[in-house]
Amino acid sequence: MGGGRLWLIRRIAAAAAIVFAVTSLTFVAIHLAPGSPFLPPPDRPVDTAVVARLNHQFGLDRPVSTQYVLYLRNLSQGELGYAFSRGEYVRDALATAIPNTLLLAGTALALDLGLGLLLGVILAARARRATDVVLSNVTLFIYSVPAFWLGLVLVFVFADWLHWFPPGFTSTPGLYETLPFLGQLGDRLHHLALPALTLGLVGAAGTARYQRAALLETLGREFVRTARAKGVRERRVLLVHALRNSLLPLITLAGLSLPFLLTGSVLIESVFSWPGMGRLATDAVLARDHALVTAVAIVASAMVVTGSLLADVLYAAADPRIRERAA
Amino acid sequence: MNFRIAFPAFAVLPLAIACSSRGSCKGDYCGTVVFVTANNPKTLLPTEIENAAARDVDEQLFLRLADMGMAGNTVGDSGFVPRLATRWEWDDPKTLVFHLDPRARWQDGVPVTANDVAFSFDAYRDPVVNSSARNALTKIASVTVRDSVTAVFRFKERYPTAFYDAVYQMWIIPQHLLAQVPRTDWLTAGFGQHPIGDGPYRFVSMTPGQTIELAADSTFFAGRPHIRRLVWKIVANLPAAVSDIVTNQADALEFLGSPANIEQVKKTPGMTLIPYPGSNYMYVELNTRANGDSSRPHPILGDAQVRRALTMALDRQSMLTNVVGSYGKVPPGPIPQWWPIWDSVRTLPFDSAGAARLLSARGWRLGPDGIRVKDSVRLSVEVMFTSTSGARQAFARLMQAQWKAVGVDLQIQPLDQNLIADRLASGKFDAVIQVFNSDPTPASGIAQHWTHGAPNNYSHWSNDDFDRLVNLATTAATAKQSRGYWRGALNIINADAPGIWLAAPDNVAAVSSRIADVKLRPDSYWALVWTWRIPADRLIDRDR
Amino acid sequence: MTVRPTLALVGAAVVTVVAVELLRRRTRGLGSGRRYFGHPAGVWGLRVLVFFSVIAALAPLVAPYDPAAQPGIVTLQNAPPSWAHPLGTDAYSSDIWSRLVYGGRVSLGVALLATLVAMTVGVTIGAVAGYARGWIDAVLMRLVDIGLAVPRIFMLLLAVAYWNRIPLALLVVLLGLTGWFTTSRLVRAEALSLRGRPFVDAARALGASPARILVRHLLPAALAPIIVSAVLSVGNVMLLEAGLSFLGFGVQPPTPSWGTMVADGQAQLALAPWTSFFPGLTIAIVVMSWNAVGDALRDAFDPRPEHA
Repeated sequence: MGGGRLWLIRRIAAAAAIVFAVTSLTFVAIHLAPGSPFLPPPDRPVDTAVVARLNHQFGLDRPVSTQYVLYLRNLSQGELGYAFSRGEYVRDALATAIPNTLLLAGTALALDLGLGLLLGVILAARARRATDVVLSNVTLFIYSVPAFWLGLVLVFVFADWLHWFPPGFTSTPGLYETLPFLGQLGDRLHHLALPALTLGLVGAAGTARYQRAALLETLGREFVRTARAKGVRERRVLLVHALRNSLLPLITLAGLSLPFLLTGSVLIESVFSWPGMGRLATDAVLARDHALVTAVAIVASAMVVTGSLLADVLYAAADPRIRERAA
Repeated sequence: MNFRIAFPAFAVLPLAIACSSRGSCKGDYCGTVVFVTANNPKTLLPTEIENAAARDVDEQLFLRLADMGMAGNTVGDSGFVPRLATRWEWDDPKTLVFHLDPRARWQDGVPVTANDVAFSFDAYRDPVVNSSARNALTKIASVTVRDSVTAVFRFKERYPTAFYDAVYQMWIIPQHLLAQVPRTDWLTAGFGQHPIGDGPYRFVSMTPGQTIELAADSTFFAGRPHIRRLVWKIVANLPAAVSDIVTNQADALEFLGSPANIEQVKKTPGMTLIPYPGSNYMYVELNTRANGDSSRPHPILGDAQVRRALTMALDRQSMLTNVVGSYGKVPPGPIPQWWPIWDSVRTLPFDSAGAARLLSARGWRLGPDGIRVKDSVRLSVEVMFTSTSGARQAFARLMQAQWKAVGVDLQIQPLDQNLIADRLASGKFDAVIQVFNSDPTPASGIAQHWTHGAPNNYSHWSNDDFDRLVNLATTAATAKQSRGYWRGALNIINADAPGIWLAAPDNVAAVSSRIADVKLRPDSYWALVWTWRIPADRLIDRDR
Repeated sequence: MTVRPTLALVGAAVVTVVAVELLRRRTRGLGSGRRYFGHPAGVWGLRVLVFFSVIAALAPLVAPYDPAAQPGIVTLQNAPPSWAHPLGTDAYSSDIWSRLVYGGRVSLGVALLATLVAMTVGVTIGAVAGYARGWIDAVLMRLVDIGLAVPRIFMLLLAVAYWNRIPLALLVVLLGLTGWFTTSRLVRAEALSLRGRPFVDAARALGASPARILVRHLLPAALAPIIVSAVLSVGNVMLLEAGLSFLGFGVQPPTPSWGTMVADGQAQLALAPWTSFFPGLTIAIVVMSWNAVGDALRDAFDPRPEHA
């Protein structure tokens, strides 16, 4: 396992390097602007006490190299500055927003992979027949739909018209606190349904397309023909042999879906008033709150890098060939 | 584990959990009212609040010396209702003595005393604190303590709305909690995130950008509020708020806005529409000084004739109907519907051709792209407004088309409300669409806004005759004389057009039908929530 | 609708059908051409794209009304579809179909130009990295890694936060500069494989400059995957532009963009759903067409037996 461990260490190092590079670039970017990076835009009242404290913490009176080190140290401790537009520290704003986005993205990812896999298998099994043609086009349509528009359509149909689901927010204020644990869970799921469904559907369409292509490719390969020649039933061929082989890229797909989910969350969170990172970023831009937007960008990058790292690790764990190749 | 034993246990467990629900309130003192708003308060410290949601929350947490009555009469003191003060008397025409209720307590147990009243006055007047009420208190010379329950107000002169000025502008704040906090830190002070008041409701929690929760103070000296919990839910914008009302996720929304929203809520079972005379007006404020440099006049908007032309180019009545339908009127000046000076004054007509001629006469010639130019300056005005307001966005879009017809370019700039406040304060803007939530008396509203050097006079407009007439109107002995002076002042401000008066909407609020005894005070919609109640037979899940 | 716009619309449809047919005839000799036109989705996608491009180009002829005109802000707001206004009017009484047609100029134009920028940058950097190898390659590819790490929309939001208002040209450049990373990897792979071929050594011995080698040999070889990647990414850029405009950060009013039209309709979603529905549907159809064309092109250039 020595080779595998070395590979893992190299991958983690690479991921750390990328996050490091992103934060360094951000350092350069915000220090190129005149004035302290913690000063609000020029036309805002200066909160002298807060700015002085942050300036000192980040060592802005010191030489640049010391500043850089201090900046990184502060970042590692979670000190990201002061969000003037919200009247709170950036880390506090992120602390409430990140779990909400993770909840939404996580659920959407589960829907994405579950539904996408199922759909991909169906499409491949019925390839080139009527079912495939129709469903493939439907899938392509959903894949092409703007996610925010789909969200509005779902709100209109299921919330405004049918009243089956709430139009937004994470839970019912006023009621949520009084519910028992199971009730709270139910309330949260009830609110999670529409936004997660919106993101999940679009993601599932993409996954299904990919999965169909991957399955069809696998089905044309040697070992499948051998299985068929041996008289194995078509369904078993499909599910057991072909599927298992095309499952590996699915892990990568999951890791690579994270940027899409984070991007989608910016728009979906606006439609559904979901208090996550996306809405935080949007509000920060409207308020020209540079510290907050920068912090959100750094956190988003870290999430993406971690996601793809995890995908790589899982992929290597599942496929011994990768580990051996790296050894 | 033996399956046959385990299974019933697992089956019973969820039932047990469900039955042990935390909420099992019965009777007359239950209820949770959810207010939905698109405003996000940054702080709840009364001297620093800057939006309607913060004001609504503070209305429940803090007390004034006396409250306005439902009639909205601000002349003299007969229209007022005792609150923190049980009674008052005039020692002489310029000295007003308040006797505080000895039962009043801050929610940490400390009694409310006259020291708090004096401290509050000092804080509200302090330029470092920079409260928005500062300029309304200029006529009060001092507030002193006679004994622990007696506060003495001394005025610089006698005038009809003296009592109103003394009681209406200030929520009394606790000296023992705020005296040690340096005034420069008040904007970000912890007290603003966890306020302690003396009102009918106690602060429970605040999640910035999401929710604010208050609980009834059962020991409140004037009587225990019936509604047990109040929750403010902060959403992204007005359509989201209306969605919540329509789906019964929220119980109250103070301003529905467009006719589309009003129609939607009208069709919602379980919601009552409550129209009441509008206390606000929407207008465009034009910066007469250069954008970012108040030492020079604005190259475009510094010219009164150009401002007149910009006003004349707009069909304000049609714009109003488009945005609020029949629920509003075009005001004849910077006045809301409920001020008694809604009068026949000279207003600028809608005259597109006339506007074009006026602009040409002032040297603005049509350029190749259809926009006028003069001395290589394009006639382009950037109009900013809060991004969460659909009504303001709508007016901006309508204005854009109508100004284009006379060769004026309008740049639309939606921004966060805090950023707008900062740009206004530093003069870095061309024009802004604002809503002014007025006090019941024109005296403070107009004086605070349009007189020379007034704190909210972001347009830097100044006219001596106007100031003189406003002064006469505020100090006039009779209402009839006062109206005459107001009419004169309004004629001047309409002629000079430092602002374009867009709308004085009827306010229509939506409140859940299950709540009884609902009264909305026109100056502060949720001021009387502590008198509301939900009858026991109408309680729903979240009320318990 | 009146005569002129109807005729223009019919004319556009005719031009579309004819153009696609001509293209089919001309490419009948190529294997890839035959394969492409054997895909019904690809053909329809092409027709949709050509149609929308034509009507966007001929917008002044096709649109019955001025897209910024507000002819009756009291009487005509939020009017449902009718003969006079086939897709209805919006909250400001502007004709939705006219705004849709003009909006195509922005939505399609921005997406195409941004993709052009992205492809140019991506191809250049990928070619340089793959051909030069060594530390240049390492530096450039680390840059790509960083670029792929930051979700595109956050980079764009950062940029918007630093400017008061983004002029259209800047938006195009920003969209392009945030989207070249995958293409550069693709081209780099091609360049790397090209580098190892003997004829490259021969060309260099003859004195050919690297630029010449790249242009004459690399580009033709990599052209197919570049085109496919470009076509598939146009759809993505369209969605991104629509999203930014929906949030209010992209195209500024009164210029119509399909994204801003969806945002405009959000306030009266329950009362007048057509104001949001049609622009969103248009985005979906056009992006779907880009994707269908991209799929068909991929199969045409690189056929695999199991693909439909």
